[in-house]
Amino acid sequence: MTTVNNNHYDVIVIGGGITGAGTARDCAMRGLKVLLVERHDFSTGATGRNHGLMHSGARYAVTDHESAKECIQENMILRKIARHCVEETDGLFITLPEDDINFQATFVQKCTEAGIKAEIIDPKQAMLMEPSVNPELIGAVKVPDASVDPFRLTMANVLDAQLHGAEVLVYHEVIDVIIEQDRMTGVKLRNNHNGDTIDAYATVTVNAAGIWGTVIAQMAGVKINMFPAKGSLLIFGHRVNNMVINRCRKPANADILVPDDAVCVIGTTSLRIPIEECDDMRVTPEEVEELLAEGMKLAPSLGSTRILRGYAGVRPLVASDDDPSGRSISRGIVTLDHEKRDGLAGFITITGGKMMTYRLMAEEVTNLVCQKLNINKSCETATTPLPGSEPKEETKRFSFSQKAAQGRHGTLNDAIERGEAASDALVCECEGVSVGEVKYAVTKLHVHNLINLRRRTRVGMGTCQGELCACRAAGVMCTDDKSAKKAINDLNGFINERWKGMQPVAWGDNLAEAQLTATIYQSLLGVDKLANERRIEYYEI
Amino acid sequence: MKFDIIIIGGGLSGLTAGIALAEAGKDVALVSAGQSSLHFGSGSLDLLGCDEKGNDIYNPLDAIKEVNSKHPYNKLENVSSLAGMAKQLLERAGIATTGNATSNHWRITPIGGLMPTWLSMEGMATVEDPNQMPWRKVALVNIVNYLDFPTKFLAAGLRDKGVEVDIKAVTLPELQELRKSPTEMRATNIAKVIGNNDLTAKLADQVNSVAGEDYDMVLLPAVLGMTNDKNSKHLLELIKTPAQFVATLPPSVPGVRMQTMLRRRFTALGGTFFTGDQVTEGLFEDNILKGVKTAKLDGTTLESDNFILATGSFMSRGLRADYNHVYETALGVDVDDLGLDRKTWAKIDVTDAQPYMEMGVKTDENLRCMRNGTTISNLYAAGSILSGHNSIKRLDAGGVDMLTALQAANNIIK
Repeated sequence: MTTVNNNHYDVIVIGGGITGAGTARDCAMRGLKVLLVERHDFSTGATGRNHGLMHSGARYAVTDHESAKECIQENMILRKIARHCVEETDGLFITLPEDDINFQATFVQKCTEAGIKAEIIDPKQAMLMEPSVNPELIGAVKVPDASVDPFRLTMANVLDAQLHGAEVLVYHEVIDVIIEQDRMTGVKLRNNHNGDTIDAYATVTVNAAGIWGTVIAQMAGVKINMFPAKGSLLIFGHRVNNMVINRCRKPANADILVPDDAVCVIGTTSLRIPIEECDDMRVTPEEVEELLAEGMKLAPSLGSTRILRGYAGVRPLVASDDDPSGRSISRGIVTLDHEKRDGLAGFITITGGKMMTYRLMAEEVTNLVCQKLNINKSCETATTPLPGSEPKEETKRFSFSQKAAQGRHGTLNDAIERGEAASDALVCECEGVSVGEVKYAVTKLHVHNLINLRRRTRVGMGTCQGELCACRAAGVMCTDDKSAKKAINDLNGFINERWKGMQPVAWGDNLAEAQLTATIYQSLLGVDKLANERRIEYYEI
Repeated sequence: MKFDIIIIGGGLSGLTAGIALAEAGKDVALVSAGQSSLHFGSGSLDLLGCDEKGNDIYNPLDAIKEVNSKHPYNKLENVSSLAGMAKQLLERAGIATTGNATSNHWRITPIGGLMPTWLSMEGMATVEDPNQMPWRKVALVNIVNYLDFPTKFLAAGLRDKGVEVDIKAVTLPELQELRKSPTEMRATNIAKVIGNNDLTAKLADQVNSVAGEDYDMVLLPAVLGMTNDKNSKHLLELIKTPAQFVATLPPSVPGVRMQTMLRRRFTALGGTFFTGDQVTEGLFEDNILKGVKTAKLDGTTLESDNFILATGSFMSRGLRADYNHVYETALGVDVDDLGLDRKTWAKIDVTDAQPYMEMGVKTDENLRCMRNGTTISNLYAAGSILSGHNSIKRLDAGGVDMLTALQAANNIIK
């Protein structure tokens, strides 16, 4: 048994989702010695399985004033500090003939009370602003919703944490906690790539593991009642809408359509599931039906648009009642000081909340950590831009792939090698990912496999879902015979991972594409015959 | 317009049937959308590569006797004779192949695997015994920055089988030009640049300069010769060491060449080729197909005594699945959907045998299609559109395409 650098940290943050990444950043910026641990890749839990919606807060205005206020404040902050992760699309809340138009007045009033600019606009005007919207709408309200890339946002927080001295371990899973008398002093970690175990010690451990936080708490003998609510979403192969489209009614299933990059996403469903299912969630045919039927009410053209894939995430809500739908619960932030709550010092859980309020969650929990460590330093995350979003004259880019990379990495894209044919050669034609960008991601962004690479660069996220680019990227990533063999397994895993999202929506062009991909990878290349591993973990789906 | 036979689909199956019928003196028209699964091919054709368990088959002709009762091979009168005819048909079209139906050989895949196959285009790298590589030391010579020939995988695969491998790369000024646009470094573009500028000899010089005589085999990406085998043959002759081609990621230059040469043969025999068009409607009368309408021949009906449907499976758009069911796209003939719906036609693990792969049009014992349960007396189906086989699991695509096409042609001539 070894320890991480034989080192003692001020704080260990468990969880490489947006909350953990944000917390690691905040702690590091306040001068703490930080270790961030993640059992898989960054953004593999709820962070990477949502709409990519940057809420204005309007959705919660009527039912949850506090959440709405937090949302709009954070919304305005993210526009400044995470420019390169955000697309300022604005959003519409539309009223359809089947909805109660009187709700609109209440909605606007509640938005205004929460500080959200909500402007009633004429339905005809709304159709001009957003041509894909259902033409039968009878009312529309414009709000400052936006689109945000959660993968990018998480990575930017991790990068900044590292710039401020934080250490980061991905594929390191907490398998136990170390408790001395009534204080948690560290965690036992297992390297999920090679099975090695190591101990890491810290004065304070922050549990930011989302829904899996309940399991971490259990290791410490502490009970947190989580309320796992599964939400399924569908990605369409085209960006049919340029503004976020919501229904102007009390929050219900499948009533938000968000434009993300070159695609759009409809969601979500809501279904309470047992905690054991959180590691293996599938989109059911019934959910696909509901998402499509409701989605077409927002934008009828979804009915004739190719669905790229389906996926499901789980909201890390803290249970407070027996509502089976999981919607009446506050999305509020829950900070649990286990010293006060359970008599276990050195352990704090941050949960609840939502991606939108991750920075505020990080601020709250870091405040508490600093208090425990007797450090008096104020939070600067609301005003300091994330790496990639610094105010800087951007180099003019002309090629598709250079523009695409600029969109993905902001100002950091200057670190991508280019100008030579070798680095400019395109790996992924759908998303414009060059050899240089792949190499940048591999060296700088904690990329261990093709699925990591997809989360950093969008390789294989386009309409072909990795038809040729996966093999090209795998080729660029491997260096010797040993890594070539690993890369073949990786390639096999990647193809299966892409299929798992396509399988629930396997008809039309999607099925044709799937058969072509199978023909290329299985008949032409024989990748499944060469690979000696076929196990795909849920987190890679 | 009236023909003896109209073939719908210009891929391997449609062209095979077209050539066979034209050779028999028939007046044949072929309507093709332009794409073919050959463009994703390996430069080899498979007859039957794997058994039910996924193990390699050594003698396909023997193994065919064991295929399940729904497999299209059950509708062939004499597999052995048809397989011989297929090889000869290719030969007459100028496509020389190695291999035969009684013993598979193995092609080298672009990532260094070995796959059992039936016929390989001449010049493609193959081995007779998958357990014994015929080379001691191989030079793997790629074009600089060509990403669709994954040399590191290939090298690792060959080394795994005991071969010593060195990776080399060559280029020419004309190919450097191509590299300036990052999307253009693809197999077919390289083939065009080499062909249009007569660069074969220069390329051979480059290869010779990096792969000397201490190698007993030079392996190259198959990026020469889109319309004929002149350049690819010439290159291999000019390289001082024995040299062969390995398939690349798509687009497949050998596949494009095969389709081009088959088409040329078909038109040279007097066949009429409607390209970039597709059949939109069939005119049925008393269980007979009288004619078809196409998207481009506005209003004109193409009439014929007999028809062959060879439009391919889902990926070739011969079949299509909508939200609830699977249908045949050109004529709306009956499809065997195995009684499955959307919830069951695709399985979760991509490497499982996917039920949708076996879907296809229903045919009677003479390969004739059906409509509303009744056989259409003059409409035959051939190739991947036929139900009852999974070409990805069994590696039988080339055989099903060519042999059912020849059988359909025979059935018509009879």
